[in-house]
Amino acid sequence: MPESAVGTEKDREITFAQAVREALAEEMRRDSTVCIMGEDVAEAGTPFKVLSGLLEEFGKDRVIDTPISEAGFTGLAVGAAMTGMRPVVDIMFGDFITLTMDQMVNQAAKVHYMSGGKWKVPMVMRTTLGATRRSAAQHSQSLHAWFCHVPGLKVILPSTPYDAKGLLKAAIRDDNPVVFFEDKMMYKMKGNVPAGDYTVPLGLADIKRTGEDISLIATSSMVQVALGAATMLEEIGISAEVVDPRTMWPLDEKTLIESAKKTSRAIILDEGYERYGVTAELASVIATGAFYDLDAPVKRMGAMHVPIPFSPPLEDVTVPTEQTVFEAARKMCGK
Amino acid sequence: MPALEMAQETGKLISWLKKEGDSITKGEPLLEIETDKAVMEIEAPADGVLAGVKAQAGAEVPVGQTIAWIVRPGEQPPTDEVAATSGRKNTIASSQPTSPTTSQTSSPTLPQTKPDNFAAGQSNSNSSAASPAQTAKISPKARRLAAERGVNLADVPGSGPGGEVLASDILAAAEAKSAKPASAPQSTTSASPVARLMAERTTESWTTIPHFFLTREIEATALNAARQTRRSQPESANSIKLTHTDLLVAIVARVLRKHPRLNSRWSGEGARPNSEINIGIAMAVEDGIVAPVIAKADKAKLSEIAQQRHDLTERARSGKLRPADMTGGTFTISNLGMFGVNAFTAIIIHPQAAILAVGAIADRVVAENGRPEVRPMMTLTLSSDHRIVDGARAAEFMRDLAEAIVDPEKYLS
Repeated sequence: MPESAVGTEKDREITFAQAVREALAEEMRRDSTVCIMGEDVAEAGTPFKVLSGLLEEFGKDRVIDTPISEAGFTGLAVGAAMTGMRPVVDIMFGDFITLTMDQMVNQAAKVHYMSGGKWKVPMVMRTTLGATRRSAAQHSQSLHAWFCHVPGLKVILPSTPYDAKGLLKAAIRDDNPVVFFEDKMMYKMKGNVPAGDYTVPLGLADIKRTGEDISLIATSSMVQVALGAATMLEEIGISAEVVDPRTMWPLDEKTLIESAKKTSRAIILDEGYERYGVTAELASVIATGAFYDLDAPVKRMGAMHVPIPFSPPLEDVTVPTEQTVFEAARKMCGK
Repeated sequence: MPALEMAQETGKLISWLKKEGDSITKGEPLLEIETDKAVMEIEAPADGVLAGVKAQAGAEVPVGQTIAWIVRPGEQPPTDEVAATSGRKNTIASSQPTSPTTSQTSSPTLPQTKPDNFAAGQSNSNSSAASPAQTAKISPKARRLAAERGVNLADVPGSGPGGEVLASDILAAAEAKSAKPASAPQSTTSASPVARLMAERTTESWTTIPHFFLTREIEATALNAARQTRRSQPESANSIKLTHTDLLVAIVARVLRKHPRLNSRWSGEGARPNSEINIGIAMAVEDGIVAPVIAKADKAKLSEIAQQRHDLTERARSGKLRPADMTGGTFTISNLGMFGVNAFTAIIIHPQAAILAVGAIADRVVAENGRPEVRPMMTLTLSSDHRIVDGARAAEFMRDLAEAIVDPEKYLS
């Protein structure tokens, strides 16, 4: 659907990919220091076609195709950010963040502190996560927990087109290095997105569905899985609340704890590896904050502790699905 | 034994929340005691180790008597008996109830103890071998609710997926307990402290105070209007919603200024006027009635009264009223209008002189200039202590109160 045809409607629906593109385009029009760097971002508009059309509007100076060298162009972005630009780096698959770790962890996250606040690194790294695309072990991982572990970085996991646009704009305007994870399986998902300028503040969770019996705390595309499971649960008389923290750091602990207190039960859903992952941190927040209001141990559901298999039937069982979440919630509620 | 109220002589130790030898931090809940008004959690006054526990759960202990020591790790508590500071009667501080009762009453009140420790503690106490609490898992929320509602965990069957005792089981048990008829033998032994206090206090008041009752029907048009105008003011949009009770507290307190007799207390030899006008508001809680107090209500602004009433209601609902909240009342208002009750008579709270029972505001046909008119009416019934107040004085108070209610702005500005 051409964007111009619906651009003025209030309740228009666009895809997740269009929402990301719109956020970038609006910020690039608003602020001439915003630029994009990455592999295949310009001519190709990324393999997911998220950035199609940006080269035409903003030119090769601001939409820059780079060599296949994640460490190199991430370092370039850190330096550009320190000297006045607001670069948005595109790491095609989240699996490739391994190559950027020194730049992100030891440079971007540290510079502000080690310079006594004299330097800032207002850059955004956009990258992807998510399995079930049949992309095999090196292109299917959800490694956002790696960045969550490092102080000095902010980490965002949008779950809807609306949140994607508002959070990405907030990320670009933030003076800190921010990592923005998009689930590649959500790019074609549609949702309501206002045409004009708006931001979603970092550190504010969103209750995507209210419920009474169990809290499903979910991130990124797992929010959609949780909403599907909640619909199934409703049919057997279990009222599930779906809470989306939206940003892993800063983290809105209060909303998570309040929800768990209200329902007395919580399941944490995240597509990263379950062990030592985001689910562990969020479960700890709830177990600590809501202990005397819990009726059951907090349950975590993440990716299985195996390299994601290429075989489709095997790949599908490594991550939470509506069915497995439904079963887990039903068991926890004793129905 | 700490004194929580001015005239308190003894306190009943309900349970220790820590065991002897446990290390404790200043400010942690240490024990629960019951006064004649409330059950109260007492916080540890210092860091250290709990030692030399002298009073066990169930003991009635004179105020000021040492019940335990907080010592440094490794330090021994003094062995010398420290006498109570006053020469008041020495009660059963050192005697212990039989151990199964002790463990049963104290076990639900250990929210900080992990299930494993809890089970171990039970097995030491020689209580019946197959008590469900020994084996069943209890959710943290259920354990907390059981402590708050006075439910004995050993009596509650668990409905969780693995037989766990869940919050819903405790709530059901608490409801069943309060619904049980008073003649059932079990409920007489397991009445919660609040319910028992209510039974004792009302019996004492009803049998010792010579009650008499005056009733007046009063038009509530102006009262409704006073509430409506204040509610619709823009500055009140975010504040507490004003209730009829709030208005009545303010009006009654101001009218009481002219009627010190109604704001007196009975001292045994005669009536003594109270220097302050503190209005108690009767509130239903889980298993009884409490009457937390709005102090100096005659001087408090309406918004302050509403705020205080809101806070007290919230705390009453969550079982967090403090003895101080319920102390010092000089006159009480009991409003059952929200239940649709037209009129009723209330029992005076000793040592107050009177209590006002408020019925529902409802449209009634009244005669006006010889014609039938429909007006919102309410019925107020004043219960008075005839030792302090006679019929004429009470009637004068009711007349002034009625005048104030039909023209409230004079009193509320």
